[in-house]
Amino acid sequence: MVETLQNLYLGFSTALTPMNFIYAFMGCLIGTLVGVLPGVGPLAGISLLLPTTFGLNPTSAIILLAGIYYGAMYGGSTTSILMRIPGEAASVMTCIDGYAMAQKGRAGPALAISAIGSYIAGTASVIGLMFLAPPLAKYALGFGPPEYFSLLVLGLLVLGYMTGGSMVKNLAMIVLGLLLGMIGIDHFTGYFRFSYGVVALGDGIGIVPVAVGLFGISEILTTAGQPKRPEVIKPRLKDLLPSKEEFRDSVAPIGRGSLLGFLIGIIPGSAHIISTFIAYAVERRVSKHPGKFGKGAIEGVAGPESANNAASCGALVPMLALGVPTGPIPAVLLAALMVHGINPGPLLIKEQPVIFWGLIASMYVGNLILLLLNLPLVGIFVNFLRVPYKILYPTILMLCVVGVYAVNSSIVDVWIMTLMGILGYVLRKYEFEPAPIVLGVVLAPIIEMSFRQALAMSDGSYVIFLQRPISVIFLVAALTMVLLALKPLLKKGKDWRERLTKAEKTEDV
Amino acid sequence: MKTGKTIFFAVLIAVGVGLIPGMVIAQEAYPTRPVQIIVPFPPGGVADLVARPLAAALEKILKQPMVVVNKSGAGGAVGMQAAAVSKPDGYMLMVALSSISVMPEVDKLFGRPQTYKVEDFAPIALLTADPTILVIKKEASWKNVADFVEDAKRRPNEIKYSSSGVYGTMHVAMEMFIHAAGIKLRHIPTAGGGPALTALLGGHVECLSGGPNVSIPHIKAGTLRVLAGWGAQRLTALPDVPTLKELGYDDAEFYIWSGLFVPKATPPAVIKVLREATRQAVSAPEFKSAMEKMETPISYMDADEFQKFWEKDAQRLARAVRQIGKIQ
Repeated sequence: MVETLQNLYLGFSTALTPMNFIYAFMGCLIGTLVGVLPGVGPLAGISLLLPTTFGLNPTSAIILLAGIYYGAMYGGSTTSILMRIPGEAASVMTCIDGYAMAQKGRAGPALAISAIGSYIAGTASVIGLMFLAPPLAKYALGFGPPEYFSLLVLGLLVLGYMTGGSMVKNLAMIVLGLLLGMIGIDHFTGYFRFSYGVVALGDGIGIVPVAVGLFGISEILTTAGQPKRPEVIKPRLKDLLPSKEEFRDSVAPIGRGSLLGFLIGIIPGSAHIISTFIAYAVERRVSKHPGKFGKGAIEGVAGPESANNAASCGALVPMLALGVPTGPIPAVLLAALMVHGINPGPLLIKEQPVIFWGLIASMYVGNLILLLLNLPLVGIFVNFLRVPYKILYPTILMLCVVGVYAVNSSIVDVWIMTLMGILGYVLRKYEFEPAPIVLGVVLAPIIEMSFRQALAMSDGSYVIFLQRPISVIFLVAALTMVLLALKPLLKKGKDWRERLTKAEKTEDV
Repeated sequence: MKTGKTIFFAVLIAVGVGLIPGMVIAQEAYPTRPVQIIVPFPPGGVADLVARPLAAALEKILKQPMVVVNKSGAGGAVGMQAAAVSKPDGYMLMVALSSISVMPEVDKLFGRPQTYKVEDFAPIALLTADPTILVIKKEASWKNVADFVEDAKRRPNEIKYSSSGVYGTMHVAMEMFIHAAGIKLRHIPTAGGGPALTALLGGHVECLSGGPNVSIPHIKAGTLRVLAGWGAQRLTALPDVPTLKELGYDDAEFYIWSGLFVPKATPPAVIKVLREATRQAVSAPEFKSAMEKMETPISYMDADEFQKFWEKDAQRLARAVRQIGKIQ
């Protein structure tokens, strides 16, 4: 404890030097921008800035780049809430209830809660990172393919509850997403699947073009196709801050989202986007009024937004404690250290205390900067809604195209986005919810990979899923959920889903 | 108004005069505008980390901006294809890895149209060449390669190894050794070098063949051990570690190398400028220190020498790919 405090003092004395403070501020500012701009995500932002950090000292470089990473999680919610266009892939879930709130004139509170939730989640997980990094990293390594597969099976079952509307439609959308996720090279044999000779489809279709297309482009098409122009809701100043009730309803989701996000973020190979889906599903499941979800429930904003911030911080645990990347973004951060001659590994914390504790302290500072930066911005961002559609939408369309292209300098990605936009438009006309498609595209490759890896490990024996304790726990939990779902069939009485449908019906009448 | 017209003509003449020598003696004029370097892998990978310091060094020599463009996808095939079909005028270079020779071979194996051919490219220079090393967990019972091979023979297809993906560098290297030693190991492909190392650290596999610079921190920390290397010589960073060649596995020679390429039809004069510039760039102190920091030793070879090395290496890789065959 005393040692930690001493180290923290060292960290703050590093992070608060004027230079490092400026880099933390710049990182947060760029991160917010990268998050706000649709299509341009943290990966593109960090990749573009990586070369400029070669000239800095390693501590400043990592402070700057990490700032972009967690800063993007703050900014990502902005366009999701205001225009139903995810600023980056992890804000897809925020689109649903955030945008519904905006339509009711509650854009201000949604943005404010997302900033506050992000701050709490960010700070809480830095504390987690500080005290628990080495032991947690070991726990993360124990997560092999069998554990991962079982977790995803459980996750899929939880996600059955994810969105409102028809269960059949949702399942159809998940399956469509899983199908789209099968495109690309078969990682076990090297065969190209469904690529029809397009080499660029070898890696499958990316999450960013799918998310931006399904949500962003389809939203623009839908608005343009409306015979009557939608009324712009002009927010009043007193509507910018959340009400007491909204604050009260957000406390628990922020807590749960932070914990979930942090734990999921630590697991190598998981995308932080998954944490937002699970956080949303959990909030909907535990909510006393699940009928409000999809129609502007503040919990549906608070949970996922906290989760993606906590997950981005959790992803740093294996990276800093073991030198192991959990995803593409930590991999670029590791590269940023390597070019400075620091080989990240299990000795990083011991051998490079200035970097580790400097980064930790800068994250405390950075999260505070982001909160102070984002709260006043709420008022400005909300006013974007006053910009006439004929100016706003072409601008957004342009940003989407440029952003999606920039990720991989790939015109194929732009085409995917366009096709997904048309698909999203059609689906919305028939009242299908596009979020499960995004989920399917994210999950398909990792479920398949972990399943086949696990079977390769056991030489084809399915027993491997029952031989490993963590895997068994997840499978038992999954089985319990299935049995609970079957209960109403055996016993009379209604489960919450039926009650919900009934409640919705009476509401309509 | 009149001065506006005068200026316009003055500019026109100046541009025209500027163009004439460019047209007459093109080789001296190259490069007259920014040059792009395609990296067919994502930022932060080996190719990217070599290309960026190289671009910085070349910029000073050629006096033109050198822009690194990451064009990743399908294990590098997307970027390499783009480079292969680019205009052969010297304004589109590529830093590629040894996998450049593997992919056309895999295409052949599957009987599908090749995304590009090795012959589409002309080599400029070899930049780095790192042999892979055989890494195991600290707790593993094997003391040396002989132990390992003996155990693998006793229980075939039981010992697991992870790789960056099928037909990827880590897979091909390991298969060379497997074939040379006459053993059978169980292959667990992952989605890249990072996940492959994570699988070993987590104890989900028992060994791997990977690049030294990412494993060395773990070896220093004592969580991993190294049994042998794939090079013709021992690594300077690991002088006590024998090579597989020394141990009698002659066919097990593998390098993760990076080189600078241009499309085949690039004019010889342009290639000459690039060769000379690269020769200077690799001995520039900034480039040297950048490579040293990443523990990736520079192994410079000029075009002719590199061409020979590349041909030999490509034969070794092609043989290994055919030995692996189609995976069922």
